[in-house]
Amino acid sequence: MLRRTLLMLGVALPFAAGLAPAARAAGDVVVALDANIIGLDPADLNDNLSMTASRTMLQGLYGFDKDMKMIPVLAESTDASADAMTYVIHLRKGIIFHDGAPFNAEAVKTSFDRARNPDNHLKRASLYAPIDKIEVVDNDTVKITLKYPFGAFINNLAHQAYAISSPKAIAEFGKELGRHPSGTGPYKFVSWGTDTLKVAKNEKYWKPGLPKVDSITIRSMPENGVRLAALQAGEAQYIYPMPPELVRVVEKDPRIDVVSARSIYARYVAMNNMRKPFDNPKVRLAMNYAVDKNAFLKVVYGGYGVPLDSPLPSNLSGYTKQGSYPYDPAKAKALLAEAGLPNGFETVLWGGNSTLSQRAMQFLQQQFAAVGVKVAVEPLESGVAAAKIWNVKTPEEATTMMHFTAWSASTGDADWGLRPLLDGGAFPPTLFNTAYYSNPVVNDAIKAGLTTADPAKRQAAYDIAQAQIWKDTPWIFLISDDNVSAKTKTLSGIYVLPDGQMLMEEAELK
Amino acid sequence: MSATLAQPPSAAIRTPIGEFLRRFRRQHLALIALAVLLALVLSAVFAPWIAPYDPATPDYASVLDGPSAAHWLGTDAYGRDILSRIIWGGRVSLSVGFLSVALGGMVGIVIGLISGFFGGWLDGALMRLMDVLLAFPGIILAIGVVALLGPGIDNVIYSIAVFSVPVFARLVRGTTLALKQSLYVQAARSIGVGKMALMLRHILPGAMPGVIVYASLRLGTSILTAASLSFIGLGARPPSPEWGAMLADGRSFLGVADHLTLFPGLAIFVTVLAFNILGDGLRDALDQKLR
Amino acid sequence: MLVYLVRRLASTLPVLVVVSVFVFAFVHALPGDPARLEAGPEASPADIEAIRKDMGLDGPIWSQYLRWAGNTVQFRLGRSTKTRQPVAEVIGERFMPTLWLTVVAMIWATIVGVSIGVLSGVRRGRWQDRTVMVLAISGVSFPSFWMGLLLIDLFSVRLGWLPTGGYGTWKHFVMPGFTLGLAVAAVMARFTRSAFVEIMAEDYVRTARMKGVPERLVAWKHTLRNALIPVITLTGLQFGFLLGGAVVIETVFSWPGLGRLLVDSVSFRDYPVIQAVIMLFSLEFVLINLTVDVLYAVANPEIRLK
Repeated sequence: MLRRTLLMLGVALPFAAGLAPAARAAGDVVVALDANIIGLDPADLNDNLSMTASRTMLQGLYGFDKDMKMIPVLAESTDASADAMTYVIHLRKGIIFHDGAPFNAEAVKTSFDRARNPDNHLKRASLYAPIDKIEVVDNDTVKITLKYPFGAFINNLAHQAYAISSPKAIAEFGKELGRHPSGTGPYKFVSWGTDTLKVAKNEKYWKPGLPKVDSITIRSMPENGVRLAALQAGEAQYIYPMPPELVRVVEKDPRIDVVSARSIYARYVAMNNMRKPFDNPKVRLAMNYAVDKNAFLKVVYGGYGVPLDSPLPSNLSGYTKQGSYPYDPAKAKALLAEAGLPNGFETVLWGGNSTLSQRAMQFLQQQFAAVGVKVAVEPLESGVAAAKIWNVKTPEEATTMMHFTAWSASTGDADWGLRPLLDGGAFPPTLFNTAYYSNPVVNDAIKAGLTTADPAKRQAAYDIAQAQIWKDTPWIFLISDDNVSAKTKTLSGIYVLPDGQMLMEEAELK
Repeated sequence: MSATLAQPPSAAIRTPIGEFLRRFRRQHLALIALAVLLALVLSAVFAPWIAPYDPATPDYASVLDGPSAAHWLGTDAYGRDILSRIIWGGRVSLSVGFLSVALGGMVGIVIGLISGFFGGWLDGALMRLMDVLLAFPGIILAIGVVALLGPGIDNVIYSIAVFSVPVFARLVRGTTLALKQSLYVQAARSIGVGKMALMLRHILPGAMPGVIVYASLRLGTSILTAASLSFIGLGARPPSPEWGAMLADGRSFLGVADHLTLFPGLAIFVTVLAFNILGDGLRDALDQKLR
Repeated sequence: MLVYLVRRLASTLPVLVVVSVFVFAFVHALPGDPARLEAGPEASPADIEAIRKDMGLDGPIWSQYLRWAGNTVQFRLGRSTKTRQPVAEVIGERFMPTLWLTVVAMIWATIVGVSIGVLSGVRRGRWQDRTVMVLAISGVSFPSFWMGLLLIDLFSVRLGWLPTGGYGTWKHFVMPGFTLGLAVAAVMARFTRSAFVEIMAEDYVRTARMKGVPERLVAWKHTLRNALIPVITLTGLQFGFLLGGAVVIETVFSWPGLGRLLVDSVSFRDYPVIQAVIMLFSLEFVLINLTVDVLYAVANPEIRLK
């Protein structure tokens, strides 16, 4: 039957030949990712995949190396004032944008002012909120003055939302900028169609010797097994994410390397601290003892990751190890009995509806059942989840009981790892504190960390916050899973950052 | 007796049921299919007594084990016995098939009959309404139902039922249009048979073979659709052992533990196949005009 | 005939209006705020309010509807709230891949399906009938994503003959086209057979048979014509269904089709895209059904077009 199909297709599809892309050019790297690119205007993006794509072309004053250490990129250095209010930034010289415009202080100001202008309705405007004004000091120096002290401001500068677009492109394309990206990065925009982005080598790139490949093609392949099949079949040279449960398939394949690295993802179950029975700290503690985190890792993430030992994942700056709540169902039962619930209770667990999320929730359901807690698993479609979580005016209205979710601080800093999730002022709809947890000690510490640029003082503040949160157990602290990717052995120089974004500047085919 | 008009004289002598059984017995393949389905239904009904293990109890010591003496069809990612889950899952999957087709079929048949028989503006209105439903992609309808009513197997059944309605309706309408012009209906009409009687006794039986064929296909399709819904994360809620959910879940392990997809996939395949073959046999046996 | 066509086309207008109200209501009844989804979990309430305004989601619902309907009539479909790309462009990029895949699947499925059906109908009850029908039915009994994954494993990974997915050369059409058409072929086969067998037994055919050859030929003509009716119905329906895209097959084969676009758009509550895509589907269906009704009359003049 298949042969007949082939024959028929040959007859029916002469038109298809015209659509055929030429065979892969030498030095073209195909990277297969799990979703579609949504846009290429860095100030208007909030998903890792689009930011990854944007990073190939546009760069910021600061950026990250492959271990997510902050490094200067288009900036040479910065002088921060002691009150964390003004920042004088010295720019790298002699760089031009893809469209030929020169990179200078004026370009920085134009790009930032566009991004933060509320009339432009860009999604990342809030990351620019601390900025009061931007001044051009001279051709290679800008001075940024903030509205309030913000110690983590340089981390913001490293965020892809602060990547700098060519002033010429901004003037020329306006709202269409996202479809005509022009930056200073190693690759130039070629085309972006359905499911495929193509970028080509920037011949005039300012870092000598880079880039080493002619072009990169980013393709969207939503189905896990198929992404791996594409790598095995040689259609893609790099895939991310690599489904951890399938590592065994390619482990012995001599052509393929599986790469894993610590992430800054924290996966946890937020318990509604304002609702019975989770308002009782003993119940929350019991739930922490009820889950075997190592088994969770093994069953859900193929063993790739580490249990959380702080509210912050170990790879995030500001993290301090707190301890562990080892698997101890007997202790969990005893704690529940002490809390007046010897026979357990019934509740509802919310989470996403992806296969992985459902697998995780199913595992949790089994673990809770073993200590007498009956949990109904409710996988929520994304829009429904948003409605259930955000359509809440006051904490009393919230119907959340348990919420399985994850967070990665996109600025790579402790502040953004704690404040949106655990600050008393971060209840939905403001931010993402679905645990409805508020402790004055933590609130004060988060504030203290925010209002100084002194690293030692900030660390002290975050130490206090982490210790208190660990003690209060507003969450079930689960795990930080690794970012697992796979590549052909001939390819090197592509890295997945701990936050799930990727660097492709040094890509090289041997 | 107006009913006999539609039938050849010989059929009036034998009882219709006897006649049907006599013919059905000749459909050997269909008999096998029926036996398979009966076995499936029985095993689902008596699941608590037949299944060797509890379908929801995990055993982390034996995760993803292949078939063995202890677990005939192996274990899944949580160490649950796949055989037991398939036996229990039969309850869910078979109900999805039967209930959604019964619901959607009934509504569709009524609409199709009325539409085809009365014609005119009513036909126009009903068929345009069906067009609206048809044009509305089934999966989107299902997402809507699940978004509004929450996840779960009941809502999967409603969604599938809703998108079976227009097909049944158009099918029945098509046959009704043709039969309305046929000799025996014209004859019945000419001797003053009422509209209800015409529709129910003369046209509906004529439309039934088509409906049965389609319903048998649809039973299978419903089970497959439930699997597709699980594939996009809108199916049965965990830990339900619905076959489609098992298959969708197991696909993550293709290449590592193929038995996770093989057995639920086979269960679906065999069931859908049996429904189809049975439908074929029923059609042949039901058709009064066949010899 | 021409009068009929004009009247039928005119009568589709109210359908499209009803669909538009239905679609609009459906989209807006879905729980989930598009501005919130667009902004992401890190956004502030002020950001979200700004985005909502930008999306035109302020003001009473009826005025939103009128604004949208008015724009749609003038083919101003707006921009995707997710990618900010013009909706016409978003759909345009995915329409052709969907259409070609549908055409490929329909062609092979109809040819194979109808041939099997006729063979089966003629050889009814014999071994040829049973064998081909069981084969055809087996095709429809496979869950499509399972089939797709197995095909990829065989033809892309093990044999290296075909690409795993994507849109490009004829090679890209083989597996998705085959998988998509499989269910259709089986349905076609069974209906053709059914219709064939049924009408072969009709009184006039049997009469013709008894009377000898010339009338038998006439009857054959009748048979075929009548047998065609359900086949035409079904072809139309299946064509319409397939044009709606097949999210599962598109996902498995990374195909840039409308089904995946629609499902993705729903999960982002990308109202302009959802509305435009469903309106497009309605239009397709209306046109297909019109064609089907006309073909009824061509196949069987007894069914008059009123």
